[in-house]
Amino acid sequence: MTNQPDRQSAEARFREVFSHLGAVTAYARRRGSRDPDGIAAEAMTIAWRRLADVPADDPLPWLYATARNLVLEESRRSAPAAAAGDDAEQSFDPQPFELDPALDQALRSLSRFDREALLLVAWEDLTPKQAAKALGINGTAFRVRLLRARRRLQASLEQATPPSPHLNHLDVEGT
Amino acid sequence: MKNDSTLAYLRRMNPVPEAASSVDGAELLDRITSLPHDEPLRARRSPHRRRVALVAVGLVVMALLATTALAISGWFGDVVEPPVTKQEYRNAQDMLTLPPGATWRELNLDPNSVTSRGGGGSYAVMIAMGSWECYWVDAIKSGDQPAQQQAHSELNSLLHDHVVIAPPGASENWAPSTAQFPVAAFADDGGYQMKQAMYADAAAGHPHSLIQSCRANGP
Repeated sequence: MTNQPDRQSAEARFREVFSHLGAVTAYARRRGSRDPDGIAAEAMTIAWRRLADVPADDPLPWLYATARNLVLEESRRSAPAAAAGDDAEQSFDPQPFELDPALDQALRSLSRFDREALLLVAWEDLTPKQAAKALGINGTAFRVRLLRARRRLQASLEQATPPSPHLNHLDVEGT
Repeated sequence: MKNDSTLAYLRRMNPVPEAASSVDGAELLDRITSLPHDEPLRARRSPHRRRVALVAVGLVVMALLATTALAISGWFGDVVEPPVTKQEYRNAQDMLTLPPGATWRELNLDPNSVTSRGGGGSYAVMIAMGSWECYWVDAIKSGDQPAQQQAHSELNSLLHDHVVIAPPGASENWAPSTAQFPVAAFADDGGYQMKQAMYADAAAGHPHSLIQSCRANGP
């Protein structure tokens, strides 16, 4: 059991972690969770319980990794119910929602890992270093994956849609 | 990273541009911090990392051995090169669940090595198993009943769906011929049954073997 000063120290530290509640909720919503508030609350509860595992300097990648696993679990739990419908395959995998159909289709064409690499940087605004931590890979491997994911996304977008003003000059190589 | 219009486009299309929660944060914070919290605030080495390290060492040894056997790869039956193994590993990640807070480790293989087909999936199964075992141990220590039940259920599913027992006398490179994936093959030496007994014991309130299993690969 912890004594009072330890508990106060833990609570003080947890308040910093908890300040990311909104970001984690938004993450869950972007990944298509049916209960983003619940996912965020669960992620925070786990963070409290396992506070020693949460990196003190930058808890966000850890929180996103935890929320990601929870969203995947939520998705798997709902898979049997969805299987009865017509959209079982798509319902199985957490997906962005209310997107431009071409972008939605292009994102779905990526592997889940590639898509997550892209979205952690583009939507969660993580640095490559942070995103690599959230995915449990090193920074170099992440950059390679990100480059490949961008190429694939662009190829899918070009296949799905005729040239449009904002897609005419996509910089695939990032150069 | 230089300016990238693919990412810029994706950023513009963010469906939830603002970070926001609709719950009462103060109330939630009070509720969470009123829960038991027994873990000291000291740096703790991730227990599942130790098991992962052991599995990784095993894979590296296997890859190194196989490297020298590229020209005689027939010795190893159906072997594949690192890109295939890594793809197997990624595919397996889509089919397996890790505990909250755990992440998939990177799979490093010598570029000139070969690995038995299915090795990437087997590696992922072993990582998932080790992660859930240590998650269970942590849940026992913190008295988190739902987490304990979840870990037990996940481990039973892993054993049932993703572990097979090699036939008696099979070689170390034996792999199931079915399309089952991902799958880890256990030797026919009672290891599978030991895992089953270990999980049953832990669920019955006797987690000694489970704790040992989690701790066994530690430094």
